[in-house]
Amino acid sequence: MLLTIATAFSLLAAPAAELPATFAIRAGHVLLDDSTVLDGGMVLVEDGRIRAIAREVDLPENCAVVEHAGWLSAGLVGLHSMGSDPAEMRDATRPVLDAEVAWAFNPRSSEYAKAAAAGITTLVLTPSPRSLSGGVSAVVKTGGGRILSRSAHLSLGFSAAALSLNAYPTSFASAVAELNNRFEKPSGAFARARAGELPCLFEVATRADVQRASEFSRRWKLRGAIYGADLAGEQLDVLSEAGLAVIVAPLSAGADRRSIQSTVKLAASDIAFGFGVDNPMLDPQAMRFTAGLCIREGMDRKRAWRALTTQAAELAGVAKHVGSLQKGRDADLVLWSGNPLELSSGVQSVYIDGKLVHEVKKP
Amino acid sequence: MWIQLGCLALALLGGAPQSEKDPKPETKAPPAEKQESPSKGDAKTDSGTKKKDEKGEKAKEEAKPKEEPPREILPPLEPGPTLFIRAKRVIVRPGVELEGAAVLVRDGRIVGVGAGLEQPKDAQVLDADTVCAGFIDVWSALAIDPGSLNDGGLGPASKSADAFDMWSAEELRRQTLRAGVTTARVQAGATARVGGTGAVVRLAPGLDERLVMLTREGCVAINVGLSANAGGGGGQLQVIDGQLVQVDAGARGMDIFDRLADLDRIGGALEQGRNYLQAQIEYKHELAEWKKKIAEKDAELEKEFKKAKKDREKEEKDAKDKGKTFEEKKYKEDKQPNEPRYDDDGETLGRVWNGELPLFVQVHRHAELRSFFKATEPYTRTRFVLVGGSESRSFTKQLSERGMPVLVWPTLRGRGAPDEYDGADLSLAGDLARAGVQVVLGSGGADPAATRDLPLMAQMAMGHGLDADKAFEALTIGAARILDVDRRVGSVERGKDADLLLLDGRPLQGATRVVRVISAGRVVLNPEN
Amino acid sequence: MSLPLFALFIAALPAQQIRQPLTQGEAPRQNWIVRAERVYTATGRAIKDGAVLVNGSKIGAVGPGAAEENGKYTLSVYAVTPGMIDASVRIGPGTAGVEQSREVTPELRIADALDLFDVRWDRQAESGVTTALVCPQDENVIGGLGIALKTAGKPTVKDRTLKADAVLRGSMGSQPSTRNSPAFQRPRSFYNRRPTTRMGVEWEWRKSFYEAVAGKNDPARALPGSAELLRALDGKLTLSIQAWTTQDIRTAVFLKEELEQEPQIAGKPRVFVDAAAEAWKEPELLVRSKVGVVLPPFPVDGRTGEGSFMAWNVAKLLCDENVPVAFSAHGGSGPLYSLASQAGYAMQGGLEFDKALAAVTSVPARFLGVEDRVGTLEVGKDADLALWNGEPFQPTSRVIGVIIDGALVLDPRPTDAR
Repeated sequence: MLLTIATAFSLLAAPAAELPATFAIRAGHVLLDDSTVLDGGMVLVEDGRIRAIAREVDLPENCAVVEHAGWLSAGLVGLHSMGSDPAEMRDATRPVLDAEVAWAFNPRSSEYAKAAAAGITTLVLTPSPRSLSGGVSAVVKTGGGRILSRSAHLSLGFSAAALSLNAYPTSFASAVAELNNRFEKPSGAFARARAGELPCLFEVATRADVQRASEFSRRWKLRGAIYGADLAGEQLDVLSEAGLAVIVAPLSAGADRRSIQSTVKLAASDIAFGFGVDNPMLDPQAMRFTAGLCIREGMDRKRAWRALTTQAAELAGVAKHVGSLQKGRDADLVLWSGNPLELSSGVQSVYIDGKLVHEVKKP
Repeated sequence: MWIQLGCLALALLGGAPQSEKDPKPETKAPPAEKQESPSKGDAKTDSGTKKKDEKGEKAKEEAKPKEEPPREILPPLEPGPTLFIRAKRVIVRPGVELEGAAVLVRDGRIVGVGAGLEQPKDAQVLDADTVCAGFIDVWSALAIDPGSLNDGGLGPASKSADAFDMWSAEELRRQTLRAGVTTARVQAGATARVGGTGAVVRLAPGLDERLVMLTREGCVAINVGLSANAGGGGGQLQVIDGQLVQVDAGARGMDIFDRLADLDRIGGALEQGRNYLQAQIEYKHELAEWKKKIAEKDAELEKEFKKAKKDREKEEKDAKDKGKTFEEKKYKEDKQPNEPRYDDDGETLGRVWNGELPLFVQVHRHAELRSFFKATEPYTRTRFVLVGGSESRSFTKQLSERGMPVLVWPTLRGRGAPDEYDGADLSLAGDLARAGVQVVLGSGGADPAATRDLPLMAQMAMGHGLDADKAFEALTIGAARILDVDRRVGSVERGKDADLLLLDGRPLQGATRVVRVISAGRVVLNPEN
Repeated sequence: MSLPLFALFIAALPAQQIRQPLTQGEAPRQNWIVRAERVYTATGRAIKDGAVLVNGSKIGAVGPGAAEENGKYTLSVYAVTPGMIDASVRIGPGTAGVEQSREVTPELRIADALDLFDVRWDRQAESGVTTALVCPQDENVIGGLGIALKTAGKPTVKDRTLKADAVLRGSMGSQPSTRNSPAFQRPRSFYNRRPTTRMGVEWEWRKSFYEAVAGKNDPARALPGSAELLRALDGKLTLSIQAWTTQDIRTAVFLKEELEQEPQIAGKPRVFVDAAAEAWKEPELLVRSKVGVVLPPFPVDGRTGEGSFMAWNVAKLLCDENVPVAFSAHGGSGPLYSLASQAGYAMQGGLEFDKALAAVTSVPARFLGVEDRVGTLEVGKDADLALWNGEPFQPTSRVIGVIIDGALVLDPRPTDAR
């Protein structure tokens, strides 16, 4: 008995990194997937998975409880990131690579710690848009180094960045022709994409690129999402006809209001969307900042939260594992000082797969 | 150069006799203030010399640019409306809130704040949930013309007020008002070694130009150790996606010696200012002395006028007889002290040195900060503001002891930002504030559009440890204080200008919207705009 | 830094009217009635005090007689002409529209590379040009397939296409060889290749056609694009060959005549020469081989592309020799550079009005093979109209209204009357 009490006490007093496999967190407010708030809720974590979420949970014996006065939510899912080293993510020798970006994943890179510190627990590593098809993207956790999926999207470059001045292809026409050839007699990732098993990630920039990508997608009956269109909200009809989703590029302070309004229009429509990170070029905090800019301009908060978590996980193809606070999902939890959608809230602790990966020391 | 100066001096001094020989008072250039016996222009040596010196002095006064009051070419300013603002909550200043109070504004000024105010009959009544002071961006580039913003060759006296185009960027400024920022310090030369004199302006488009400029000379800015100024083609700084990014880093970046040399410029500049000021003061004293002596001599010689006249005539005759040219005797005390050449840079730096104008110094790196604190210790009169301060967490003791505020840019920086920003992250403001340093916030002064999102950046800083009250203070009265406009703006108090935000919730919260904005007592933003 | 400059450039151009961009959606579509003091149909028939009735997207009626005055959908202007056709609009993605890893790419389509959100399309429509031929930029010897499209409407290629694969585009002269360098030069890139001279360019032309013919019988020798080349030889696909100078025009014409002799091919190639600035020097050659020309924009001092020389009376010289002539503005708009201005310069050089009108309407329509749809004001053709406030092509007149496919793209009425 004394030993039990001593153990329990020591568990509570010890640095939280030493948490056992089973523990619970009681938070002042728990933000659920549909944006409802559970005041004074508890989350029970067991073996890296969420076991229960409720106001009062039946705790097993000797269960350590972490008390947190602020808010608790699922970890955010970032949908487009160039990973730790952009040079590692691009092969300039060939326009089309049937390669997996997962091989370039270096979990020790500080970029992932930064992302975790911003509340992002799952990140999609994407190949460079400067190739005609840079390969297949991967979904990774920002702490612990786990790879959730080695092939999440087939990357297809439809912007001018995919063209070159002194290597094939140099024109949009031949780029489209080349991709048409690849899909006509497909192999590898292209075959899976054509069969509908692998979604595509269309890297675009201008509105004409979006049109070209949509037409291509309709021709080969592909599914997937576009990334890089800052005025996607003005082309909703084109996108919904092609059935494509949108990954919103991060916006910084001073972003053009037209882009922000376009994103708000996008959120008001039926089209699925999520947020990208563009890490390491931009600070991963930019994801929530973008959401904040859009909310200020009128985006529905529920919609924004869905785009940061559940819908993003769907677009990454890992909704069964992450992105939501539900029984059976991975215990990727973030403890905040306030409502996560408020920019004035900060990350205080981050758990990935039930392990504490980031904690802000109290000053 | 000295020979030429000498010749010039001789010419000035030696040329006078001829003009004396042609003594019509009208031909003497300016009408002399004191005309002593004008018809006897050649009579007295010293009075003649004195008149010549007066003329010289006046000529020199002419050469110095006079501060003339501007001619009134604008129609008289229309008085502002009378506004009676009823609010559930009036945030007077950080930490002081009044429930169920009202604010009475008349002709641009706040004339009353409180619960029991009487509503005047002619007042326009406005209702709001919360009223607070308009936010001030202490580091802005809004409506500064891009050429000036990127100009690397400015001097301390270059006025950003001249680069501020109050008729430009109207739509962006309206968006900025909608976000709650009503005033800003605008600065040209964003990454230049010397940014020049900044101005504090009201951002609302459509205001009369006399109301826009809160002060034409708010501060002087110096930037030290920025990669943009590296010798040998050190890299271009561009604003991409709202952050300063190093593009095309040149062959040779800035090394530690360059940076420390950069830092020495601060001392050099302050010395220049001090010397100029000193020279001015000395000149004033010397001039007064000289005038006194002249007056004394004058009085003395008045008595002996006749004798002196005879003596002089005799000397003239002697010289003529002997065939020599007659030379005026020159008395040592007649030599008027030379006024120091007018130097607008020196004048500005003098005012910086003696604390009239604050000096905003942008320093980031540890080594440079160390040298900065050491180098600026002797300048106790100068008011410094540390700008940027990415690695200043180690210097909070010096900062709080010397009462030096820090202007922080709470931005999102990824890879590619110049290395001077390495130590900075969103928690800088909070860490400094907790250590007792006065913190104010700015939007970086590089991207004009970033001013609009300063409140959001402040919120991000709050999320990383900056106390909410301190953030609000940084945006309002704290900012006004370091810019010396705190008697006019920064809080909702009687006697100050009416720069107010009417909100539908507490400020600096995500759900709160700015409903109306009042600037200089005029309603400049309505819900339907 | 180029973005702010571009914005300044746009701001500095005279905006005709403040209105929604044309590419943002469909313009108001009604059965418009256009009343004009002069109806120039470009069929040779000019009507005084006539009207043109729009029926859906086609022309319902053309004729004299006073139509309903001040009706809700009546547009009263001084003159109406068919919407102008520019056979060489160079609004495209530049080098991103031409595949430069090879010199001969007949199978590639410029349609895949177009950006119809480009504001220059709006300007073309506003200046009265309703149909445009866009081709790949002439960095390649044979660049690919050009497209004839309308300049306004829903901003998708599909909706604006008038004739897909309208021409096969290529170039003589030095432009295709400019970037290439001999194989011994460094740095090495795929530009170390032939051709590097004019004769090399002509050699590539001839080689590709002969290879295509050889590939007809021997599939192993067929290259991508052979099908297009064979169709061009057969006369089923018009060839548009850029040739600025006299020697290049000669080369183009002689090549055509040589290819006509090809025994394995039944038909005869149809060719028109684009940017034929010096066609005026040997018009008999063009007449002999039935080759039409498209003139480039008239230069200020006579000198234009590749050192060629062209004066304002060139159009008259050519028309007098019965060479089919069309004008082009290369994507320019505004008072000095539009297609209407080019016609104006030609008239100042002595050309009669009817011929000038034909050169911007019926003649280019024939070159592009779309004369059944556009080019004249006749019942049943597309309702593409240009409305003027004075005699067309005069410096004091301008296009004040444009109807494309029956939709009012530029409204000539004052704002309060709409």
